[in-house]
Amino acid sequence: MSPPIRLYMSMSLDGFIAGPDDREGQELGRDGGRLFNWLDDRMSDGPSGQVFRELMATGGVISGRRTFELAGRWQGDHHDGVPIFVLTHHIDDGDVPPGSARFVTDVEACAAQARAAAGDRAVMVHGAGAAQSLLRAGLLDELEIHLVQVLLGQGRRLFDNLGTQHTELELVRRLEARGVTHLRYRLAR
Amino acid sequence: MSRLVLYMSMSLDGFIAGPGDNKDNPLGTKGHRLHEWLGDGGEDVSGFRPSDEPSRTVFDELMSTGAVITGRRTGDFVDYWGGDHHDGVPIFVPTHQAPTGTPLGDVRFVTDGIESCVEQAKAAAGDRDVMLHGAYTAQECLRARVLDVLEIQLVPVLFGQGRRLFDGLGPDHIELEPVRTLESPSALHLRYEVQYA
Repeated sequence: MSPPIRLYMSMSLDGFIAGPDDREGQELGRDGGRLFNWLDDRMSDGPSGQVFRELMATGGVISGRRTFELAGRWQGDHHDGVPIFVLTHHIDDGDVPPGSARFVTDVEACAAQARAAAGDRAVMVHGAGAAQSLLRAGLLDELEIHLVQVLLGQGRRLFDNLGTQHTELELVRRLEARGVTHLRYRLAR
Repeated sequence: MSRLVLYMSMSLDGFIAGPGDNKDNPLGTKGHRLHEWLGDGGEDVSGFRPSDEPSRTVFDELMSTGAVITGRRTGDFVDYWGGDHHDGVPIFVPTHQAPTGTPLGDVRFVTDGIESCVEQAKAAAGDRDVMLHGAYTAQECLRARVLDVLEIQLVPVLFGQGRRLFDGLGPDHIELEPVRTLESPSALHLRYEVQYA
């Protein structure tokens, strides 16, 4: 079995991954930083440290265009210089992304290229838009949801604009940590 | 002391019913998927009662609450369980206007606000908890800061579309304190105490 394409996202119990009005200068939306408190423990020996280390050991990144731009294009390097595949509808002439990032307009091609580039390592997906595109195309293998114990009330939802088709999941790992529950689901095929 | 506890089955993407829910199809299209954790049949209690230990624990707690609050919409859909959700405990229904006619069983329509409804239900429940069911009423209770505990049965499925549990809330964060997590093959039972700022 080839290594998975795995989504990593912090989500509130009510399904938000950013506060309202996320934009340049306020990348996480209003008060959206609440969802990332668990990253304070990213260097710990505990479960949040473990999950973060796994994330940083992935061999490729798939990101949505919006997330990529809000993140300042990661200055071309998300971690360790692994290739970053940015799903986008449109590429401006002469717009060459920095470092190890590249634009891809086709979701199937994006997944295939990321898989090939990651070799025997997992591919990390980040961003709600990319997640939704991959889900609709049936190309996502796993979800690693950092479920944060808060109701944000408003903001940007992780799961939105999906079809009417149910996607069955299997909970394959649950790690309880300070302020967060890391839930890993495998998508049924 | 009696607490108001929300019991709802929710997909990982936040839905508590499929699309197109109505009286003829109260759970919406394919919405029954969310309630599979309840019933592989089992021993008694109206044919439900899950066979796995964690789900059974939650189910038994739900069935030992001393009063029920349900939304008008949810209640209408299921005909107020014939007037008896379990053990004949009173069923309180917050609504703007009570229907004419005699309510079924121990159903009581409350028209003077959600706070009053919760107060009456807690008084009726005595030292037992009050079970809350219904998305809209849950939202109303959260906005009014009268919901004490969430017991969510998180079902491992993405629904894609349907009716959301958490919708129409304000921009203020509501912090939750996890007090128990029970894992069963069919659902993750998440219990949180609500901590209003």
